[in-house]
Amino acid sequence: MREQDVAVTNQLHENETIEERAGYYPVSGAHLYAVLHEVAEPVARVLLVGPFASERHNSYLPWVRWARYLAAANVEVLRYDYRGTGESTGDFEAMTFADWKEDVTLLSAWLKDREPKAPLVLHGLGLGAILAGKAFDAGTGDGLLLWSAPANANQALRQTLMRWVGLEQIFKFGDDRQSASDYIRKLEEGSPLEVDGYRWSVKLWQESFEFAMPAALASEEIAAQSYTRPVRSVKLTRDAAPLTKGGLVGFDDLKDFSWLYAPNREWILAMALKGVGGIPYA
Amino acid sequence: MREAPMLGCIDERELIMLGGLDVRLQGTYHRPRSGLSVASGGNGRVGVLFVNSLSLPRAASGDSAVHWANGVAALGYPAFRIDLPGIGDSAGHASTDLLDRINAGELAPVTDAAIKELVSRFGLSGIVVFGHCAGSVSAVYAGAAARDCKGLILLDPYFHLPQAKRPKLREELSGWARRSKVGGSLSNLYDRAKNLAMKTRGGGPPGNANKQLLGCWKHVASAGMPVLLLKAPGIKAQGTKPRVGEFDYIEYVLKLAGRRNCVSAAFVEGADHSFANRAGRVAVQSHIAEWLAMHFPLRNSEVKNNTVPRGSKDSADSIESKTADKEHCLVMEGR
Repeated sequence: MREQDVAVTNQLHENETIEERAGYYPVSGAHLYAVLHEVAEPVARVLLVGPFASERHNSYLPWVRWARYLAAANVEVLRYDYRGTGESTGDFEAMTFADWKEDVTLLSAWLKDREPKAPLVLHGLGLGAILAGKAFDAGTGDGLLLWSAPANANQALRQTLMRWVGLEQIFKFGDDRQSASDYIRKLEEGSPLEVDGYRWSVKLWQESFEFAMPAALASEEIAAQSYTRPVRSVKLTRDAAPLTKGGLVGFDDLKDFSWLYAPNREWILAMALKGVGGIPYA
Repeated sequence: MREAPMLGCIDERELIMLGGLDVRLQGTYHRPRSGLSVASGGNGRVGVLFVNSLSLPRAASGDSAVHWANGVAALGYPAFRIDLPGIGDSAGHASTDLLDRINAGELAPVTDAAIKELVSRFGLSGIVVFGHCAGSVSAVYAGAAARDCKGLILLDPYFHLPQAKRPKLREELSGWARRSKVGGSLSNLYDRAKNLAMKTRGGGPPGNANKQLLGCWKHVASAGMPVLLLKAPGIKAQGTKPRVGEFDYIEYVLKLAGRRNCVSAAFVEGADHSFANRAGRVAVQSHIAEWLAMHFPLRNSEVKNNTVPRGSKDSADSIESKTADKEHCLVMEGR
């Protein structure tokens, strides 16, 4: 009875051998909601660092399916919600990029420490690419996979804002319609802005300009010269919506993404096989 | 780091898994303020179940469902948010025809199974189903199918089936009408012409009305099931009244509900369609509190601290349940 009552293990209907375990990971002042796609003898482990705030909801299904796709290929995956968003607790408005960066550091350490040992890949999407990139630059992870990495957090915020304004404008006529520039002006004049249910503080906006991708990750070529660990950077096209801007929730998030998943899974498996810097992983 | 735990429950929430007709459903349970734990009985009170709006995960837009579930729990009622099959963290596949399946009531059996399991596991007298937009369609079907469903909270419900996708030119014309003053005036003329055509047709619903759903609504509402229906401002609409030229479904379903109905309909000024903005969240929370107190009052002993959390998800998150049963927390140690 007790086991049933507190069950957090989700055995997949389509693949009964892969377990999904949801739980809360304690961090300072909050709990991170995380789901572990558990594999007995993983060839690699991947920490998925998802997109920002409301983008989480738009991209949730393809993101979860990507985790399941990897788990089916014997790659253990941990995905989570940023502090103050989704199922995680905490006050979103009080959060900073430093808090979200710390989430990556703590969870990647937890994942890395699991037995048996396996190479750890950090995979970030959108703002998550910057968070993963910063952790990687600081020495975390054996490989880095970036999808639609912005140059800085402000680009990610603008993209989120544009998507929200586009939806807002569907419901407004004439003078009631406000452009993205109008909203940005308000932020820059010192007023917080509510975007898709999340209140963006002025501080968040201001800090977003400085929270940038490390220079060594500006391109795969530069990364190859800077790190001995492999880096792959993929710019997602509109076909990948809603993982990138565009697309309709309830329609585009349900479509087949195997064209995107397959080559990225192959890269992860090849990286795991070669090991770090060409040396087989011990 | 090895000792860092993953917890199955924290002070005010627990992660739960439901059987859901052989498909494992992931959910979050928000403990009521009086400290009902999984193992203890629900003392016959009702719980509130939040179902997905289309393919949105169970936190919903802007995490609004988290906010409302916290608020409901703070009032003393157990609250549950679940992901239906193939959505969010639940198992199963959601196909591209998800909306059609929802509109046809195909999620009712699994919702019914989830309701039964919650009632039995938590010792509840029944469940109030909360749905937004497509979720409200699932809720109405569940209300008709589930014996243990005792009430409905519906946000921006719709009772029609989608028409074929509009041609691109038509989309562009609509966009132009929204942007320009001339377009706006022409749009008003078009609305009036549509209104005239609708009046000529008579008072019945249009051809794309979801008759199956309306049938379920009539069954549920005319039997006197308490229903709270909240409406956000629509495009060129006034209050609960639709845009000129559009059929007034709210008026129609209130008539269908008959004389015994227990339907409360309200307009939520300042909300957007998601109700996730600050104005929407606060107003919905306030309507829910009033409505639950009216239709499902708690005995005094069941309410230890009957206060609505202030405004945000975060203030509700800070509520501390002293009675949380830590033994029920599953610890996932790093292996």
